[in-house]
Amino acid sequence: MAKRILITDDALFMRVTLKNILTQHGYEVVGEAQNGAEAVKLYNELKPDLVTMDITMPEMDGIEALKEIKAGDGGANVVMCTAMGQKNMVVEAIQAGAKDFIVKPFQPERVIEAVEKVLAA
Amino acid sequence: MKVEYISPFVEASITVFEMLLSTSPERGQLSARPQVFTSQQVNIVCGITGDVEGQVIYGMSIVAADKIASQMLGQSIVTFDQLAASAIAELGNMVSGNAMTLLSNQGYTCDITPPTIVKGTNVKISTLDIPALVIPMKIKDVGDLEINVSLKEREAKKAVA
Repeated sequence: MAKRILITDDALFMRVTLKNILTQHGYEVVGEAQNGAEAVKLYNELKPDLVTMDITMPEMDGIEALKEIKAGDGGANVVMCTAMGQKNMVVEAIQAGAKDFIVKPFQPERVIEAVEKVLAA
Repeated sequence: MKVEYISPFVEASITVFEMLLSTSPERGQLSARPQVFTSQQVNIVCGITGDVEGQVIYGMSIVAADKIASQMLGQSIVTFDQLAASAIAELGNMVSGNAMTLLSNQGYTCDITPPTIVKGTNVKISTLDIPALVIPMKIKDVGDLEINVSLKEREAKKAVA
């Protein structure tokens, strides 16, 4: 069965791009959240195998959403996918339980590599 | 405004354009403007908060915006719709985000706000009284991109330093 993925990004363009990359590689995109609050809500409803999480978003940012998701489900697989590659951001996200960190702009191979690695662990 | 705030944006735009459009932009002559002001048709406004604060605006013609969005989406743009606007906004987000990484290497920790697209020429954008430095970038086969950087160091940070 195809692995189920929830995409979180406030930019329509990023959601479309990520969805294309993931579906082309045999993943099922079960939901698309436009901000952190929506991601938390959809995570609890859909229980996806993996979540991609942007950081800079309106309403609730990605770090906050990551913490809420992990608080509800300690085993959640969350991959940060953001334009911000700052060390403190990466450290904060990893400490909060993010499994990997992808910096935009990215190549499709990098996304697939990260997703495969996290799901294989 | 310090010139050291400028180079991260130049470097970041080169990195992002090389990756997205497989082309390397050429940097033009730096100029100063007393206020944040744009004479371009399509503008991406990114707010910066943190150790340095202010705004960065990426301005371009509608033709250049169409070309960039077409390449990012892998399909040609017929009308500049929501998806195209989102691609252009994301371009601003990527350049600013990458610039934040470079700024943090210089010891300035900052964050960006979600980008806003402003269409229309001769728009005065900020109420902040920060002069702007303008970097023109020439992108082969696409057109010109103008980066308006209007940043100042936060008072508290200055006091510590």
